[in-house]
Amino acid sequence: MNSGQPAEAPQSFYYNTGKYRGVLSWVLSTDHKRIGILYLLSVGAFFLTGVTLGLLMRLELIAPGKTVVNASTYDSLFTLHGIIMIFFFIIPGIPASLGNFFLPLMIGARDVAFPRLNLLSWWFYIVAGFLALATVVMPGGPPDVGWTFYPPYSIRTTTSVSLAAFAAFVVGFSSILTGLNFITTIHRLRAPGMGWLRMPLFPWALYATSWVQVLATPVLAITVLLLILERSFGVGFFDPVKGGDPLMFQHLFWIYSHPAVYIMILPAMGIISEVIPVFSRKAVFGYKAIVISTMAIGVVGYLVWGHHMFTTGMSEEAQLVFSLITFIVAVPSGIKVFNWVSTMYRGSIVMAPPMLFSLAFIFLFSIGGLTGLVNASVAANVHIHDTYFIVAHFHYVMFGGTGFAFFAGLHYWFPKMFGRIYNVRAALIACVVMFIGFNLLYFPLFILGWNGMPRRYYDYLPLYQPLNVLSTIGSWVLAAGILVVVINLVRGAFRGDPAGSNPWDGTTLEWQVPTPPPAENFDVIPEITHGPYHREGKAQ
Amino acid sequence: MNTSGGEITVHDKHVDYSGAKMGMWLFLFTELIFFGGMFLLYAVYRSSFPEEFYSTSAELHRTIGAVNTVVLITSSLTMACSITAVKKGDTRLSALFQLLTILFALTFLVVKYFEWEAKIGHGIYPGSEALTAQGQGKIIFYSLYFVMTGIHGVHVLAGIAVISVTMAMTLKNRINKGDYIRLENTGLYWHFVDIIWVYLFPLLYLIG
Amino acid sequence: MGLSLIHKLTDGHSRGLLPRAHLDDKGSYSAVKNLPELVNDAFSLVIVISLVLLVLVTFFTVFFAVKYRRKKNPVPHEVKEPLILEITWTVIPTILVLIMFWAGWVNFVPLRRIPENAMPVKVNARMWSWQFEYENGRTSPTLNVPLGRPVKLLLHSSDVIHSFYIPEFRIKEDVVPGMENFLWINADREGEFDIFCAEYCGRGHSGMISKVVVMSSGAFHEWYEKKEEKHAAAGELSGPALMEKHGCLDCHSIDGSALVGPTFKGLFGRSQIVVTGGREMSMIADEAYIRKSILHPSDEVVKGYPDIMPSFEEDMNEEEISAVIGYLKGLK
Ligand code: HEA
Ligand code: HEA
Ligand code: HEC
Ligand code: CUA
Ligand SMILES: [Cu+2]
Repeated sequence: MNSGQPAEAPQSFYYNTGKYRGVLSWVLSTDHKRIGILYLLSVGAFFLTGVTLGLLMRLELIAPGKTVVNASTYDSLFTLHGIIMIFFFIIPGIPASLGNFFLPLMIGARDVAFPRLNLLSWWFYIVAGFLALATVVMPGGPPDVGWTFYPPYSIRTTTSVSLAAFAAFVVGFSSILTGLNFITTIHRLRAPGMGWLRMPLFPWALYATSWVQVLATPVLAITVLLLILERSFGVGFFDPVKGGDPLMFQHLFWIYSHPAVYIMILPAMGIISEVIPVFSRKAVFGYKAIVISTMAIGVVGYLVWGHHMFTTGMSEEAQLVFSLITFIVAVPSGIKVFNWVSTMYRGSIVMAPPMLFSLAFIFLFSIGGLTGLVNASVAANVHIHDTYFIVAHFHYVMFGGTGFAFFAGLHYWFPKMFGRIYNVRAALIACVVMFIGFNLLYFPLFILGWNGMPRRYYDYLPLYQPLNVLSTIGSWVLAAGILVVVINLVRGAFRGDPAGSNPWDGTTLEWQVPTPPPAENFDVIPEITHGPYHREGKAQ
Repeated sequence: MNTSGGEITVHDKHVDYSGAKMGMWLFLFTELIFFGGMFLLYAVYRSSFPEEFYSTSAELHRTIGAVNTVVLITSSLTMACSITAVKKGDTRLSALFQLLTILFALTFLVVKYFEWEAKIGHGIYPGSEALTAQGQGKIIFYSLYFVMTGIHGVHVLAGIAVISVTMAMTLKNRINKGDYIRLENTGLYWHFVDIIWVYLFPLLYLIG
Repeated sequence: MGLSLIHKLTDGHSRGLLPRAHLDDKGSYSAVKNLPELVNDAFSLVIVISLVLLVLVTFFTVFFAVKYRRKKNPVPHEVKEPLILEITWTVIPTILVLIMFWAGWVNFVPLRRIPENAMPVKVNARMWSWQFEYENGRTSPTLNVPLGRPVKLLLHSSDVIHSFYIPEFRIKEDVVPGMENFLWINADREGEFDIFCAEYCGRGHSGMISKVVVMSSGAFHEWYEKKEEKHAAAGELSGPALMEKHGCLDCHSIDGSALVGPTFKGLFGRSQIVVTGGREMSMIADEAYIRKSILHPSDEVVKGYPDIMPSFEEDMNEEEISAVIGYLKGLK
């Protein structure tokens, strides 16, 4: 990737290979931008693997009974799909790729606080990824337990559950290291003059995310470790035969995994908070309100894990409290949505691809979030728990939310990362196709769920077929959209038109450095004198 | 992709002490939560099997446990001394104290080994027939015993490895009066490992 | 403490805050015929509020995007950020969520209050079938219930976690080994409705389905008193029918393909590597071996297979076992 740069500009980080040459200059680099690109490519590869598995599942579900794979294969499909999507795509996705690349740039730092730790965490990620994929060829076959690993089934089955759990353990380390690194970076390396309230919202989002990563991931680590010990040595913590309590596993699992959904959504919200002001040519509306809700989501999000367990026979007090807090935690998300929409008021709006993706995000995330409220209502939950209603809910928030935000961020920062720009028309068309395909794919699942179709069903009663067919057709439309995005971006990176250093007229620091940025970002660390969304001649 | 030529121009690279400290504290936080998961299990199962926990706890060897506690606390002391020594500029003394710390840590592990050995010799270990025959409370107690002391042991082992490295660095004067943050962080970690044991000991050995 | 206070307030017996409509004169919930309506109501409330919010958000998004597009509005106007706006859209949603929460909760509580006169039925779940056990010892693979009489379901699992789910009745509860969870239903119309297993439990999860059969009171009593066909037909059930009845064919095939368990084809006389107490040994599948496999499957586990087969010690009598063994002998 060659940058269309004037000769006198500082050398871009693509040229500055550091100590090593060739591939080694990437996989051993401690430059946060190179690591960001490494993550981007690896996360992208896992995403494509995951969606392909999803596509296969939809194909199987086009008709009741066996269509293309048998029951055991289907069980492994949704397990691997879930594990890859959660642990290898959506959790590291935005923070480790776009976050790594842009956090130091946006706060005026030359790198993260611990560059070598940063590289180490990528290596953990890659090793874990290979371990997860290796389960496919291990004796016993790929795991068939769902991404939730619930015992006692997960201690009885002979598939390679331990290896998959170990992969989750290792990738957890990667996640912890990233979080720890970002927190320290934000505390220690902000440019002079950048007080907390002058920090852009994407770094704010990463800050909250990092805390959640650091404080929640160790719980996952110990949980899966105990599961492995349970399988290897029969320690019995989760085995009712030995006096263990399988529900303890669920508690521990969700103490991590509910906060994890905020690890997934907060950085996405950070991206939206950057994109909408830029393409409305305005300062973001309610900066402080967004900051406060970001932190509030991070904190309150810890206290709601029990909403995944309403039907397990937990006590009524617990049901009451978990339901109440779950409802409350939805309010800050709402505040953000309202502030984003208000940012557009009296702006001067360009419908460039990042903006279109962001508006799609608002719509899809709202549907996902509002149906989250349905799940949180205990009476309704009794009926829809573990049905396709839940599957639809989480695809709307995860794919419609985080996924679309990821695409928004990618299209937004692409010119800065690669020095070139993709075909804008193609990107807009792809976004529309994805949006249509997405709703076609997942909306029918809400109805299926309300009609009672349980999730993780290889086979279903014929009455559920029509909506399943519709959904499968949607998956092809969505696939077509994603294919266009991928082709367009890859082509853009190599053969797109050169992009200037600030093609979107952004106000944050990353747009003030040359494109692509030089090895150490800033020749002279800038002195910050105003808020992040300040525009010439206007107060803020 | 063109990756030819070029060198990183190093701008005022400085070591950020507070940053490094902060990173270490965050790491210890994660460790605390990691062990917290096990303490949570302990609390839950102790409240469901109170009697069995008391009676089984009595089967553990208190004196040995107490000796090990003393050993580990002493090692924390020598670790602290090594930091004081390096602050005063005496790297050789510091290295000596680190060596002592490692020796105490090894003693701890050897004692632990014999304790485990004795239990396993009696056929008591997770999944063993003798243990499985003995009722749920007992199974869970012994599983907690083996898992918690085992994972703690792994941390001791890791500590030994890290202290060996800092000791070598101290001897080579790469840790010195002007730059001892690595040793300080190692010390923090070691105190953490010590504190975990200080909780494990009464919870496992003394409740009976 | 706070929690116990909340509990008191919402407990069926003090019923301070529960809507009266759900209670009969004696203060019990038996009068609540229509449990599914409670779930539907809670659901509809959230959906209606959500739809309104969604329409609002979407309307403004699209409206602004069109009205303030750069072609028409080349120069943006910075606007004031009135604090009152932030407060409004914090307070109103908070009130809304509290309403939705409360509706969800009050509609939920009756689902957990079993009327005293409810008829108990024990639900036995195992991979991958349901069995229903009545007070008089009668068992059945379908849940037969009389119309209009509350039925209490006591949920038991002999292996992994399952979840008992009747979509039509809007109820679900996990069946957790080592725990006794419960549910209650009160059917208000005759007919047959699907029962699903809603917690993933392995290969046969989607096949773990059965039916509730709601009968008139008279028909139910006739069925209930008939006792089991067991006594009449014990010796007469053939091998295949027994295998069907006890769900052997969920896990074993008779055509040579390996399912969750080894195939029955050519089983008799086969030499088998089994794992007992951590050691591997070779065994010939003779009559004693098969009997032991059925009664104590965990003692000798065929190598390469998971130890998940349930024991049939309590479910099968001597004649049935002999009949099964006789049948297996013939499967070459
Ligand atoms: C990105 C990930 C993500 C996010 C952000 C969320 C967000 C939310 N989730 Fe979701 N959830 C998942 C991922 C996520 N979830 C996953 C993966 C599962 C299933 C796991 C499994 O079992 O495999 C799940 C399951 C799940 C359950 C358990 C269901 C069950 O199994 O029975 C529940 C129950 O309460 C729930 C609730 C919520 C709520 C209330 C929110 C809220 O935070 C949403 C807040 C957002 C909004 C409300 C929309 C925007 C607001 C407005 C437009 C206006 C404001 C309106 C009001 C406040 C009234 N989720
Ligand atoms: C970010 C998270 C994420 C994303 C993006 C997706 C994406 C998709 N998921 Fe997702 N899904 C989960 C997370 C996610 N999923 C999780 C956590 C579960 C729960 C697992 C569990 O129960 O344990 C789940 C479960 C789940 C189920 C329920 C299974 C069941 O309960 O039985 C289904 C069924 O339809 C499904 C389908 C899909 C489809 C069709 C896509 C579509 O996005 C895919 C559309 C297809 C494409 C877009 C293909 C694009 C292909 C190309 C562009 C070509 C690429 C070419 C190369 C190979 C290089 N998923
Ligand atoms: C939940 C699944 C399941 C059900 C139901 C089940 N089995 Fe099994 N069975 C297995 C598995 C798994 C094995 C192999 C592991 C083992 O030996 O326990 C097995 C092993 C056996 C064996 C030994 C086979 C060999 O090759 O040595 C026999 C005989 C047997 N089962 C008979 C039965 C009969 C008869 C029934 C019904 C009354 C039945 N099983 C029901 C899962 C099941
Ligand atoms: Cu039983 Cu799923
Ligand atoms: Cu959750």
